[in-house]
Amino acid sequence: MTTSTDPTIMEWLKTEVVPEGLEFKPLRENRVLVMVKPEDVDRLAERFVKKLGARLIHATGVDREQFGFDIVYVYDFSKAKNLVLVLEAHVDRDNPIIPSVGKVTWQAVWAEREIKEFLGINVAGMPDPRHQFLPYEWPKNPETGLPSDPSLYMPATTGVSPTSENWKPVGIDPKTARSSLLPIGPYHPGVIEGQTVYVRVEGEHVVDADIKTGYHHRGIHRLIERRGYNKGVFVSERVCGICSAAHGLAYVTCAENLYDAEIPERAQYIRTLLVELNRVHSHILWIGVAADLIGWKTGFMITWGLRERVMDIIEAITGNRVNYGIWRLGGVSRDVSQELAMKARQTIPGLKEALTQLIPAVVDHPVVKARVVGVGPLTFAQAFDGGAVGPVARASNWKIDTRRDNPPHAMYDPSKISWDIVVDDHCDMLGRTLVRAKETFVSIGIVDQCLAYLEKTAGEIRDKPKTIEPGSEAVGLNEAPRGELFYYMRAGGTDVPDYMMPEGKHNVQGSNLPQAVRIRTPSYRNNALIPQMLIGSALADVPIVMGSTDQCLACTDRVEVINDKTEESYTLSWEELVRMSQKRWRP
Amino acid sequence: MVDMLFTAVTMLIMIPVALFAGILYVFLFRKLSARFQWRVGPVVSMYKDLAPLLGASRILQPLYDILKLFGKDTPVPDISRKTIFIASPYLAFICAFLAIFFIPFPGVPLLSTMEESLVIASYLLIGAVMFTILGAASSGSPWGAIGARRDIEIFLIYELGFVVALFSVGLVAGSLSLWEIATRPGLPMLILNPFAAVLLFLVIIGKLAIKPLDMAEAEAEIVAGPFTEYGGKYLGLFQLAKAFLFYDMVALFIALFLAPTLNSILWLPVYIIAVVVILFFITVMQVLHPRFQIAKAMSWYGRWVLVFGVLTAMMVLVLRFYWVV
Repeated sequence: MTTSTDPTIMEWLKTEVVPEGLEFKPLRENRVLVMVKPEDVDRLAERFVKKLGARLIHATGVDREQFGFDIVYVYDFSKAKNLVLVLEAHVDRDNPIIPSVGKVTWQAVWAEREIKEFLGINVAGMPDPRHQFLPYEWPKNPETGLPSDPSLYMPATTGVSPTSENWKPVGIDPKTARSSLLPIGPYHPGVIEGQTVYVRVEGEHVVDADIKTGYHHRGIHRLIERRGYNKGVFVSERVCGICSAAHGLAYVTCAENLYDAEIPERAQYIRTLLVELNRVHSHILWIGVAADLIGWKTGFMITWGLRERVMDIIEAITGNRVNYGIWRLGGVSRDVSQELAMKARQTIPGLKEALTQLIPAVVDHPVVKARVVGVGPLTFAQAFDGGAVGPVARASNWKIDTRRDNPPHAMYDPSKISWDIVVDDHCDMLGRTLVRAKETFVSIGIVDQCLAYLEKTAGEIRDKPKTIEPGSEAVGLNEAPRGELFYYMRAGGTDVPDYMMPEGKHNVQGSNLPQAVRIRTPSYRNNALIPQMLIGSALADVPIVMGSTDQCLACTDRVEVINDKTEESYTLSWEELVRMSQKRWRP
Repeated sequence: MVDMLFTAVTMLIMIPVALFAGILYVFLFRKLSARFQWRVGPVVSMYKDLAPLLGASRILQPLYDILKLFGKDTPVPDISRKTIFIASPYLAFICAFLAIFFIPFPGVPLLSTMEESLVIASYLLIGAVMFTILGAASSGSPWGAIGARRDIEIFLIYELGFVVALFSVGLVAGSLSLWEIATRPGLPMLILNPFAAVLLFLVIIGKLAIKPLDMAEAEAEIVAGPFTEYGGKYLGLFQLAKAFLFYDMVALFIALFLAPTLNSILWLPVYIIAVVVILFFITVMQVLHPRFQIAKAMSWYGRWVLVFGVLTAMMVLVLRFYWVV
């Protein structure tokens, strides 16, 4: 809401935190931008993370055409002061080089691999210089004359030439026959999303593991950059089908931080309501998926059956099940009428009771316990160094929650809505299950309080739009069901490209297009920790450990039926599908 | 001569009967698990508007699923041991199929009147599982190898229980002929030695890969385990063998423990009720449990098989030396 001009924090920043700072500029909310020299960033990272207990939220880069690149590091200082520090360093286009922060903290490793791959910036001293999104074996640019990078897990020479007589399965070589390399993915029945986890097993024992992502990078940042702020709301919701509400809120929070937005209170309650309903259905969905991953189809079916009740509430409020289409800059597009709020609120006790019966049955089942206790261990130190977020971090006894630390424009103030952060000290799969199960109840409590407010009051739901000042920057944060979600935006002057401006001048004409949009999803962080959790576990536990960071699925709502008698094809309408789904199993 | 002719005719009739019984057992298993899981499952009488498209009933759905496989391509991996890879499904099928002749049906002794029919049936039922493992091990796939290894670990435990359960009954009845055991006068063995019945039930859970003991076929972990490289008619043969194995195990349980139900064909309704009850318990095991991890399964399964094995053996001693004889 307000620009952080707290003089004590600015003073603290200038004297203790970043005395090397070249320029200090307060952004909206509790964010402060500091320009530094590129050679300082690794030293600063060491000071922030090791001494001041800060956490790197994300590192990314902005391409400023012939003026070079801005490398942006976003640190969260919420454990010390109410501050999110946006650290920027400018590098030349001719020799873009920046020291690696990844060697200081593992939190930065994936981010630096991404910077290197997308912007071509050399990160000096990277601990893991492999490709992030391209295949490991992707050839170097032909003009460099260098051979392609050999993967750590796919040796360039296996000692076996690939002819049909002596072809052997990947990695099985008489010399390494003691262990075998199993590729779990890109498409594997246990892991629905397209990612590969290479596990090296000796019998059933995992001795080494590696994860490769990048199978469906769609360049959604770029889509938003080309479409502008308003249409970006539409695109951002489609990043993920399950936590679409979280993405919508993080995006509008970020865009509203670019200008002076005053969000009406009722809109904030509706936003909170939807994000929490989203969290409830996502956590129930996860419990079902986890049950399926340990082979318990009954648990899967019953939890997903209960999830439908939450989906019904969401559908009643927004008219949609997956992408709610309710987010707008400055508010929400649809009001929740008092009558609807009352009706929705009546369903809450029944839902709560069903979950109260179900969740202990799942968590206390002896075979489930045998499958989750001590599986996929992640200590607090590992979680902190690796930058875990969300339920994964909270299950390792780390009390972080964006809703409390850096709340978005929603009603997470304890004076308005009472709720608490759930933490657990089991540091394993059991902890992650318990955290999600308990959070479901916390979220239902928040939903209940929001509905109680909405059924009694009425009011505006949308603020008037305002112009965005060119070159302004903003960070949007939100706690998605899977953890902290990060959006970074820089308002652009892309109407007149920079190269058409006089030497050294940046375009300040302004336009309705952002210059840069960056997204860091929670799974991006948690997936980087999967290999650490896997090493030392049994092969049977690989799917459930991979699933412990939560997964996403996509679904369709129309079915095509082909009549085998007449060879005609027709498409079932929505009404027919509803009718068929409601029909009893015996007509 | 007339006896032999009668046996030959009943054997011929028994083939479709056992096949359809096996298919119906699988259907019942699927239907019951579906109802436990808030699902519809294969429908008994099709919705009226879909009946012209899908047929009047889906009771034979398990059979359609198998028949479909026979119309598909049958790939054989280059790196497999081709002879064993191809022979295994046939041998597994033949073992499960031949076992039907050595286990009596109500009023129909078939070949179970032979003196060692219990031994022959037990060997055939061991063979049906063993050739599955052999085929997986020869497939050259790492998933198949891991599935085979898991299968063997479980196999070692349940075969022990299988032998103890079978021969405890044989010892008490004083015969190795299944027909003599099944038509023995007096109390059924279920009441005389309930421990042996529990032991055989545990064995059935393991042999049919019912949860929590389906580690070998754990689809989320090791793709399809032993069947990863199998497709087309070879997979169809394995599934057919599984359907026969389903029939064999349930029939064996009834023959061993519910003695008078096989005396005459008039006992058929009781036989059917017994089948439904056994399938109900199998289904409850299936829907109630997630899958164990192999190491934990070994300790859990091994413990219970050992406990009931020892109890069975003690019960046999009591029955054999102090009570019956």
